[in-house]
Amino acid sequence: MKFREFMTTRIESIDCDKSVYDAIEKMVDRRIRSLVVVFPGNETENGVITARDIVFKALAKGIDLKKTKASHVASRPLYCVDKNTELDDMAKSMQEADVARIFVCDGEKIIGVVSLMDLMTATLVRRARGNDLS
Amino acid sequence: MIFLRKALSQGKRERQVVEDMKRHIRLLCTACGSFKSALEKDNRSLVHDVIDLEREGDSIRREIISKVHDGAFLPYIRPDLCKFVEVVDGVFDILEDTALFYLDAKLPEEMQDECVRVALLNQRICEMLLLTFEAMLKGEDLSEKTLAVRIYEKKVDDIKFDLFRDIRKTPINNFWEGKVLADFLSGLTTISDIIEDASDYVQIINVAMK
Repeated sequence: MKFREFMTTRIESIDCDKSVYDAIEKMVDRRIRSLVVVFPGNETENGVITARDIVFKALAKGIDLKKTKASHVASRPLYCVDKNTELDDMAKSMQEADVARIFVCDGEKIIGVVSLMDLMTATLVRRARGNDLS
Repeated sequence: MIFLRKALSQGKRERQVVEDMKRHIRLLCTACGSFKSALEKDNRSLVHDVIDLEREGDSIRREIISKVHDGAFLPYIRPDLCKFVEVVDGVFDILEDTALFYLDAKLPEEMQDECVRVALLNQRICEMLLLTFEAMLKGEDLSEKTLAVRIYEKKVDDIKFDLFRDIRKTPINNFWEGKVLADFLSGLTTISDIIEDASDYVQIINVAMK
């Protein structure tokens, strides 16, 4: 896999019925900026909740963080690319979808997540290695 | 920069030292690759390759130090060259210790993938050290190469944090089982730190020779 060394393989998630506050707590504890919001039994509905969603859709609007479900502010659908996607194509997909992170999938299964920062560092390393990122 | 090229290319002894230094780093890349394969395939017999490579690395280190003290290069640059070689040798030592801990450690299955990722990153950072060293010999700009080394090191640091959080939740049967596992993880995640130090020394040698 060409992107393996740069993507984050530890995917943290939260149940769709949990509150936005629970999501914030998990993100702070784990030092992460996004969580997959899981809809048990209906994975096609899965979304992602990011720091951006929390700031703009919850905190800025003054909604009750403990009473609002994470699924309410989550972004959907999840943007996924195949595990064999090239670096440049991944950047294009993120630009077209206007997202800061994209999930890497092996079939239906999420195996990693790539952020803009990961893309930037991968591109810099590719340059340093003479464009060889195999 | 012309001086750097002259300093690194003139004389048979200098050329031999430079070739030995490249061989030393290449051997380290091979050792890191063998260790990654051992972890990936959970093949503990491959660990013995790492131990053999460490011995070979030790012998190359002695050759380099001996040639440098025998008069290769101008005296003022010798301590930096020797220090660089010692730092690279330090990576071999930690890699060997980590490999030996792996033989005794009971690595939880859920930590296996992350450990393989760290081993892969260690191999990559080592390859980048070789590219940095070669770029220095050619008199090229090192900034992008050393940045790549730092990027890899940060990646390992991020995984390290998660691994040490996980290890605290891992049930252990006795003190030694826990200690060996902790020492294994500590060694695995320290390798990139030392390679980063070696990359800093390449930069120091580069500046010193200008």
